[in-house]
Amino acid sequence: MKQSSVLKIGATTAAGLLVLLAVVWLVWVPSPKEPAYVLTISWGGLGSGAGQLNEPTGIVVHEGEVFVSDARNARIQVFDVDGRFRRQFGGKGDGPGKLGRPMNLAIHQDELYVADYWNDRVEVFALDGTPRRRIGRAGSAPGEFSAPGGVAVAANGDLHVVDFYNQRVQQLKPDGRFVSQRGESGRIGIWAGEFNYPTDVALAGDGTLYVADGYNDRIQVFAADGRFLRKWGGPFALNVHGPFNGWFATVTSIALGPEGNVFVADFYHDRVQKFRPDGTFLTAFGTPATGPAHTAIAVDVDADGTVYVANFDAHRIEKWRPGKR
Amino acid sequence: MKRYIMLPLLLLWSLTALAAGTQYAMRVDGLACPYCAYGIEKKLNQIEGVERIDIDLENGLVTVDVREGVEITEARMLQLFKDAGFSYRSMTRQRL
Repeated sequence: MKQSSVLKIGATTAAGLLVLLAVVWLVWVPSPKEPAYVLTISWGGLGSGAGQLNEPTGIVVHEGEVFVSDARNARIQVFDVDGRFRRQFGGKGDGPGKLGRPMNLAIHQDELYVADYWNDRVEVFALDGTPRRRIGRAGSAPGEFSAPGGVAVAANGDLHVVDFYNQRVQQLKPDGRFVSQRGESGRIGIWAGEFNYPTDVALAGDGTLYVADGYNDRIQVFAADGRFLRKWGGPFALNVHGPFNGWFATVTSIALGPEGNVFVADFYHDRVQKFRPDGTFLTAFGTPATGPAHTAIAVDVDADGTVYVANFDAHRIEKWRPGKR
Repeated sequence: MKRYIMLPLLLLWSLTALAAGTQYAMRVDGLACPYCAYGIEKKLNQIEGVERIDIDLENGLVTVDVREGVEITEARMLQLFKDAGFSYRSMTRQRL
């Protein structure tokens, strides 16, 4: 073959690849439609004293108070919205009101629901820290858990619990009776309705269920009747991870804002990404990691749109406000 | 007098030596996620005789101290890390 022919083939291949890259970029890497959020304050720091944290892994804000899963200290700490310590409860153990590794949190009708990863149950407290009841036990049968990572509570009191090692999301009655599940117990999958170590859930007012499908690097959405609706996160939302807008690498928490927008903790990229309910990318923000661990592990949104983020790497809580256009 | 001091010291040394356990150091990929790290800790804590667990995220190293008489086999670790969703690489052991 002549040298000129080889050069022609090479040039054509390179041009084809460039076009393909451009198409991928245009289709799967959306531009921000909103400015990034701005960090206003943060608090905490590594330690076991009141107000200090050792690996925060869950967060929920409710009527002027911020509840934090202080995982390695096996407790819940409560702050006001400016970071002033108010109270703590829990403590290491597996007895009533004790915690192993508290993860993502939810509040419903003035009760705090704690997904306890080590004790394989959902521990329920009054907001003052009084233990109320516990739901579930270790196992893989209906109503049992293997490392629950997050919980959401429906208007009728039904629980939706992410069951990490069982690769499913269970719906339970308030007393723990099994109702239904999404995903096949113990089976990892990448297709619609299947999970790969799910980590958290959030419920919209109409019962739409948003699932942080952790190691599949995507969000899956289900209707109130259990039907799969949509998914997003990278090309075809099929476990393709990357640092681009709208892509993830291990999603660890999900929350809904006052306008129904979806906030996702994109842990390995040290950021929170914000989407419309249909998955349209809006913006991203976060704090770069300084250590071997990563930062944005849990997220919640206040009624006024303020976003609270648990920074795992720095053992801190961050408060973010929408940026100005 | 010297003998009276040496005897308890020797006794103490021998008791310590007899009670010495083993330290296992295991290399694992993907430890930066706490969902994974806590899963490993949880499973290791369920092994009878485990006295201390240390997870070094930076170096992907899991160190486990077990008491005298307890042995952790590589096959068991392979299964444990597989169940926890990890890629297990290697294991070394040393007497404490």
